[in-house]
Amino acid sequence: MTEIQFSFNGRQIRARQGQSLASALAEAGQLALRKTAKGEDRGLFCGMGVCQECLVRVNGVPNLRACMTRAAEGLAVTRQDPFPQLADIPVQAPSPELIRVDPEVLVIGGGAAGLSAAIAARRAGASVVVLDERKIGGGQYYKQSADAAVLDAQQAEGADLLAQARERGAEILVGVELWGAFDDLLFLGHQDGVPLVARPRTAIVATGAYERPVMVPGWTLPGVMTTGAAQTLWRSDRTLPGKRIAVCGSGPLNLQVALELARGGAEVRLVAEAAPTPLAHAKDAIALARADPQLARKGLAMLLGLKARGVAVRHRTQLDRVIEGPTGLLAHFRGPGGRSRVEEVDALCMNAGFEPQNEILRLMGARMRYDAAFGHLKTERNETFETTVTNLFAVGDCAGLGGAPAACIEGRIAGRVAAARAGHGNVGDLTAERGDLARHRRFQHSLWRMHRIGPEPAKTIPPETLICRCEEITAGQLRAGLSDAPGHIGTLKRATRVGMGRCQGRYCAPVAARLVAEQTGKPLEDLSFFAPRVPIKPVSIATILATQEALDAPD
Amino acid sequence: MRRTDILVIGGGIVGLVAGIDLAENGATVRIVDAGLNAGTTTNAGSLHVQMQSRFMQLYPEQVPNVEAALPFYKAAADLWAEIDRTLGPFDFVRQGGLMLAETDTQLAFLEGKARREAAKGLRVEMLDRAALDRIAPWLGPHVRGAELCRDEGKLNPLVANSQMKARAAALGIDAVTDRIDGIDTAPGGLVARGMQAEYRAGQIVLAAAWGAGDLARPFGTALPTRAEPLHMNVTEAGAPEIRHLIQHAERSITLKQLATGQIVIGGGWSARDRGRDSPPAVKLGSFLGNVGVAGRLVPSIRGLRILRSWAGMNTTMDGASAIGRLSGAPRIVAAIPGDAGYTLGPLVGRMAGAIAQGRTPPEDPAPFSPDRFAPVSA
Repeated sequence: MTEIQFSFNGRQIRARQGQSLASALAEAGQLALRKTAKGEDRGLFCGMGVCQECLVRVNGVPNLRACMTRAAEGLAVTRQDPFPQLADIPVQAPSPELIRVDPEVLVIGGGAAGLSAAIAARRAGASVVVLDERKIGGGQYYKQSADAAVLDAQQAEGADLLAQARERGAEILVGVELWGAFDDLLFLGHQDGVPLVARPRTAIVATGAYERPVMVPGWTLPGVMTTGAAQTLWRSDRTLPGKRIAVCGSGPLNLQVALELARGGAEVRLVAEAAPTPLAHAKDAIALARADPQLARKGLAMLLGLKARGVAVRHRTQLDRVIEGPTGLLAHFRGPGGRSRVEEVDALCMNAGFEPQNEILRLMGARMRYDAAFGHLKTERNETFETTVTNLFAVGDCAGLGGAPAACIEGRIAGRVAAARAGHGNVGDLTAERGDLARHRRFQHSLWRMHRIGPEPAKTIPPETLICRCEEITAGQLRAGLSDAPGHIGTLKRATRVGMGRCQGRYCAPVAARLVAEQTGKPLEDLSFFAPRVPIKPVSIATILATQEALDAPD
Repeated sequence: MRRTDILVIGGGIVGLVAGIDLAENGATVRIVDAGLNAGTTTNAGSLHVQMQSRFMQLYPEQVPNVEAALPFYKAAADLWAEIDRTLGPFDFVRQGGLMLAETDTQLAFLEGKARREAAKGLRVEMLDRAALDRIAPWLGPHVRGAELCRDEGKLNPLVANSQMKARAAALGIDAVTDRIDGIDTAPGGLVARGMQAEYRAGQIVLAAAWGAGDLARPFGTALPTRAEPLHMNVTEAGAPEIRHLIQHAERSITLKQLATGQIVIGGGWSARDRGRDSPPAVKLGSFLGNVGVAGRLVPSIRGLRILRSWAGMNTTMDGASAIGRLSGAPRIVAAIPGDAGYTLGPLVGRMAGAIAQGRTPPEDPAPFSPDRFAPVSA
């Protein structure tokens, strides 16, 4: 593997070719990457381009996400100051190039659902383009290695899907960030500043989900990150987020990543699971094993693996707060009966469920309904996963959490239907796929009953807890804003600036919506959340200029 | 519901200032606002004084009205400075507004405009490129010169609106969310019919912007209020270096930087109206066009990212405000800026408040009488 070097604030950092900046910096012990307007340190948090916390300057260009930017020889990376001087920002000329894609089936997202859809649509004979935001395809479940080495069966499965999609002739464009979606299936994005315009015949949205954090005082400190972010460091770059680690929240991903990190050499001090022990769910455990004995065995092996490595999994244990200590983060936990314990760690991983990445779907007007059990919006779909917008399909976790195996089946069905819609044969018999899907859903149903999948009530969040990471607004300030401007998330936003920051409300919106709902007694629905708006992700004015010039230019 | 001396219909900047003024002068006040697309939801915070080229191109027939009202705009911006001191601070900055020119024709246009504005008492001057470089070094290379109007400024509307609402609440003003469907006269007063309740009051201040036309029509005044949904954008924060309000002699653009570093970009690009129950929708052409103009005029912001776009509601009539009692229903006082609603809002609100209470308004309301509109034929 090629060794490279770059600098961070003048300090030389060693990295491997293909490694993300965030990963190389974590390996070098550099977790704090930027200062907020209020002078707080922030670093890698979501690891997947959503939270906008790991912003750094690279060769003078500010606002680049370290988790999405690859290390390269000789880069001058500096800590991002909160207010870059305009004169210091390199003036970018609009890119003269344009990427135009007009496939019969456009797949947005190159993970489990998207790759499965692409393969199915290609198999039926449709032209397919897959757009993936990450530089490495495979998505969050199959997380591929930056150097293409295969870590385990899960990565091998993903590598196989990627290879199949390529062999069948799907065009996979990586590093493409979509920022706009408009009527009549017009999508705008860019690949490193080169505008992309997509006008497909049909579109399959397979954008997955991002992680719901555990919001406690201190959850914004560098070193506190989502479980998925830690997993990406390890699975893609073989980097540990730190030596001493604790994991908290709820759900099987936490167990899996704890085991992966332990196997990778981390000292996993604690896995705090909010739900009671599986022994309390004997019925669900049996139902789960019946629905999918193989996956159930995998889960059991995970628990045994953790036990064999001496990793404590404590149930009914929740994170209370995180404090910066002299030699590490002090993570305070509360267990059954109010017993507290403190773990000193280098990194604290958190996952308390998932939020679907449904921005494109909401923007295009696909109908949503609120799922109270999961605490998020689900996209309404027919039996072939078409949304209420004609020729717009939604598969996998972006439509509501369902797990990777179900996502693959949904993708296969939607891929076939979208291809048929574009004139490639008949859909054919879907009975077998539907049977598999029903079985996976039974498995998921039992699995989630054993964990705490729903969000905590907003009213229990301590007032000093930051809710809006970007604008640095606490739960207490939100409650005060709510009494000044009651009734709607929009008025709360204008009263407090909640949701006006760079993550565009992805973390605070669910809490703000619940606060309003708890205050007004009105049930949550699509309108309870911030109105979907262009751009879906922050996009530079240089890129917008380039897009405008490209679209104005004659074909 | 308890009867109040005054019912203010519309909880935007006009209604808030009117309500505060009335309550401070002893009246019991209720403000009712429809929410969503109404009530101080989407102001951009530019304080416009000089004639806007966009407006002059779009509505040439209204230019004489606007020109006649220039001292009124100046007085309105002066009032903002005053209420920033008494009710603020609102991140109010009054360094002036620059209207940029890139060609000789544009420069000539601005010179003519500046002469007309100076004649009306505005503090305007022409700046060449060298002078611009001293105060706005971040401008792009094509900019040749600009008209500087020192009366213009900007403020943070989110801060101003929330502090104004807090002041209204502290004065005991009752704030209600409801949509008023019509107004009836009653013995000794008026009754406003809402969707949820009826509101009785001695007088009504009609500060309902584009919704005012429908409410005034039954009383014989045809206020030609029209909703004009306009596109807006905001960037992530940079160092606060752009002190002026930026406009252009020909292109549709307003650009200003908030004290918190974000740059707000607008300028009258259209959005798609989706009726009163949904916020207006963003048009792709407006998004690309509006941001494109900003990125060409101020290249150093190209490295910043746009975080959000939205659409706000402007209200147009005939280029002038409508302030005063309706002749067909003298207990109703119209308070409609008719253009540059946020700039004129506080002054229009105060004048309406004074008229309702029989005090002398801070400016002469005669040119703005609602009676200038042809009576509605029965």
